[in-house]
Amino acid sequence: MKRRLIIYMGLPVIWCLVSGQVTIGSIFLGFIFGMVVVQPFSKLYRMDEVVTPTGDWLAKIPKKLVYFYVLIKEIIKANIVVAKIVLSPKIDIKPGIVAVPIRTKTNIGITGIANTITLTPGTLTVDISDDQKVLYVHSIDSTDPQGLRESIRDDLEKYVLEAFE
Amino acid sequence: MAGELALVADILSIISLFVGIFFLSVGMIGLLRLPDVYNRLHATTKVGTLGAFGVLLSILFQEGATPMGIKAFTVGLFILLTSPISGHMIARAAYRMGVKLCAGTCLDEYAGQRKD
Repeated sequence: MKRRLIIYMGLPVIWCLVSGQVTIGSIFLGFIFGMVVVQPFSKLYRMDEVVTPTGDWLAKIPKKLVYFYVLIKEIIKANIVVAKIVLSPKIDIKPGIVAVPIRTKTNIGITGIANTITLTPGTLTVDISDDQKVLYVHSIDSTDPQGLRESIRDDLEKYVLEAFE
Repeated sequence: MAGELALVADILSIISLFVGIFFLSVGMIGLLRLPDVYNRLHATTKVGTLGAFGVLLSILFQEGATPMGIKAFTVGLFILLTSPISGHMIARAAYRMGVKLCAGTCLDEYAGQRKD
């Protein structure tokens, strides 16, 4: 199946969620809006590439749920960490940019790990190297860069690898 | 029974509203207090996410599965998806524009990695 067809089927669902009602009319409207919206962006995505939906994606759904559980836990932890720093009487931070090597290869995996790093305690993805092997991560506490690299590799990347690759 | 359920929904709604407002306030205080662009982004991307999500979750509890509630939940999901990307883009653009890291910075392994 071509990627264009999958997107045409997916966008009406998103339109139904955004408009808040599931009727024949809103699905039809979503379909028309989807076709109009996709047109300017069709050069950015390989629309005519043939994608074969496999059972692999379905088999990974439990792994994805575990990933979302970890993500929500980390987001709450991150908020408490930042709130503590912001509300402390004297701001005492040692920020810095750390190079973190990553093992993910696919685009979706890299996007996943980069967004997860941004949403987790004290770290913010700044850039990726040209060969897509190293992420540059701004950390609010960079006194222990090696520990940061290990914590990203063991606590986050494991779940992203299992869920998306 | 329906009355009790509505009461529970009200309580959950108020709790998540307070959590959301608390974290949004923390985010704004962080924006004012932290030293440079990169540290301020920590406050806005992370805290803004949970803050906005809390407020929208409160709408969902209050409205239930009505059009308004579903809309609020969808907006929350989009914020969760877009906020880290915008934070990353702002940080990258700031670094390339030559915005300096703040005085207390003790490590910069990104320096000199980009020639352009």
